[in-house]
Amino acid sequence: MESLHSRVRAVWIVRAVVVACVLAVAVAAAERWLVDTLPAAALVAVGLVAAGVGIGHALVLYSRWGFELQDDALYLERGVVTFVETSVPFVRVQHVDTEFGPVERALGLSSVVVYTAGSRNADVTIPGLRPERARRLQDTLRDLAVESEGEDAV
Amino acid sequence: MSRLHPVTALTKTLGYAVQWASVPFFLVSILSGAFDVVRIDWVFSLAPVGFLLGAAYGLVEYYRFEYELSEDTFDLASGVFSRRDREIPFRRVQNVDVSRGIVQRLLGLAVVSIETAGGGDTEATLRYVGEGEANWLQREIRRLTAENDEIEADEQEGLEPDPTERPEPATAGTSGDRRPTHLFELDQVELGLLSLTTAKLSASMVVAVVTAFGGDAALGLVLSLARPFGGPAQLAGASPLEYAALALSSALYGAVATYLVGVVYTFVGYYGFRIGEAGDDLVYERGLLQRYSGSIPTEKIQTLSIVENPLQRAIGYAGLRIETAGYGPDGGGNQSAIPLAKRSRVERFVARATGIESGDFDRPPTVARRRYLVRYSVIAAAIVAAAGAAGIVWGLPYWYASALAVLGAPVGAHLRWTNLGYDLREDHLLVREGFWRRRTHVVPYYRLQTVSTRRSVFQRRLGLASLVIDTASSRTFVRGTPTIHDLSLSTARSIHADCRERLEDARRTRAREERALSVAFT
Repeated sequence: MESLHSRVRAVWIVRAVVVACVLAVAVAAAERWLVDTLPAAALVAVGLVAAGVGIGHALVLYSRWGFELQDDALYLERGVVTFVETSVPFVRVQHVDTEFGPVERALGLSSVVVYTAGSRNADVTIPGLRPERARRLQDTLRDLAVESEGEDAV
Repeated sequence: MSRLHPVTALTKTLGYAVQWASVPFFLVSILSGAFDVVRIDWVFSLAPVGFLLGAAYGLVEYYRFEYELSEDTFDLASGVFSRRDREIPFRRVQNVDVSRGIVQRLLGLAVVSIETAGGGDTEATLRYVGEGEANWLQREIRRLTAENDEIEADEQEGLEPDPTERPEPATAGTSGDRRPTHLFELDQVELGLLSLTTAKLSASMVVAVVTAFGGDAALGLVLSLARPFGGPAQLAGASPLEYAALALSSALYGAVATYLVGVVYTFVGYYGFRIGEAGDDLVYERGLLQRYSGSIPTEKIQTLSIVENPLQRAIGYAGLRIETAGYGPDGGGNQSAIPLAKRSRVERFVARATGIESGDFDRPPTVARRRYLVRYSVIAAAIVAAAGAAGIVWGLPYWYASALAVLGAPVGAHLRWTNLGYDLREDHLLVREGFWRRRTHVVPYYRLQTVSTRRSVFQRRLGLASLVIDTASSRTFVRGTPTIHDLSLSTARSIHADCRERLEDARRTRAREERALSVAFT
């Protein structure tokens, strides 16, 4: 089982802090509108708790994330509240993308997105990979998908 | 390249003319109120100009819209200012639907829609073509789809050229010697039972909208209907008891109205339903006022689902739905194969299609039932708490009657658990769930896209897991992905592994058969 690059924690923590800030501002705005009695410290506390939960979530998520190229399928497991193990058979891979957002790019990371024709888990994302690892995974998956190509079912 | 039916030129011309004439009308009306420079009598000169321009646009659009069947693609060219050329490979076509409204039927017109798997939209809509042309297109696309499908290369019947001639636009619907083999027809009794036993939640929207736009008349009706129950004489200034009576009676009448609208809707929609088999396709038609007909290539079918509600179960009836990966006007790739019939008949249909006689279902462990009991008890407690709060704050009478909800929890938990089931067959996985709308999905292993084992915090504590079997069926919000709920973790893992293995096996078998075929042909 291969785990993600440890720097992905930073990506998630940054994301969690941003969300916490937005939440704190939203709560502050709502408070101004509706009650306007809470002390500023309470609002800061809301932000801190949200950030704390987010950071904890990020750390646990990192420790649980894993993926593996098995002989017939890409296998992934992840999740904090709901733990999910997913198999994506290579035959079912429609196409594979590599992509990165601004934070990921700044930290030198990249994601691989695997698309299937399914309805619920139609796209599976593996975040937090070094760009060269992402590129290699993309190539491998593409080759495996082509190699195992039968008649597609759609 | 062919054009749409000439009547389309007229409808488009008129449609755009009216639309474009109304734009200056509204603009001038609004602006003349705001600015002194703009005068209301400009309408009389600008609206006719808009009318003429719109008419011209509509006419040009008609002439610029062309379609053609090539050897392996359906080609569509359209657009006045920005042109679009679209080619749809026949191999990718999921279904071809023809629909006819009342007016269209009188004029001998039809709308043809062509669906493929991708995209959130119908890929090609021909509005309007002649009825004969529509039927010819539907048949021809079906034939070409079959021909272009490599897997179906063995189906010799599919390869011979279509014996039917393309009809002249005037002689509508004369040709048709490739009559489909009859499979099922909804008779009067079944149609009646279907209408009466189907609750359409979406019909409540109709009732709500009608009430909302009914104004004082609707309000008066609602109030007068509530009077016998002790409702208020006027909306303002009534006692809490009267408001409660009003709310209760409105909910009751709303439910009855929703049910009646649903009955009518279902009756009109499924009147004259019939389905048959033509070559490698299932073809169906239905509808009293608006007539729909469509074709589903059997090769594209993803899953079959037997659907039944408690009423239908009680009288021994069930429905069968077919899911493909297309999108369509009617919930897309989810089509009724049998709206309602005796359960045994539905089972025979499934047996013919898949070789599965009947399911021998395993249930999740009883721990799962305990989990539902806890879940429903929490919901019941919340209801009682809410009612209690309403009783204290607004003086809602008899709020403690809501304690009855607690009794519902064990019943609900048992019913949910007892309706769950799964069965691993040779080539198919059977998944059953739901009490109010029990679905039994028949999923061929060959159609699996991804398999996931999911465990929430609560499930982890009880050592349970849910298995989500994803296929390429349409993405609708209402119909969930087939899921086996709350298995023991070890069972879930072993089925997970099994599914993967059987997909691999099915694929290999298919590939071998295909190779054998191509050898036989060379």
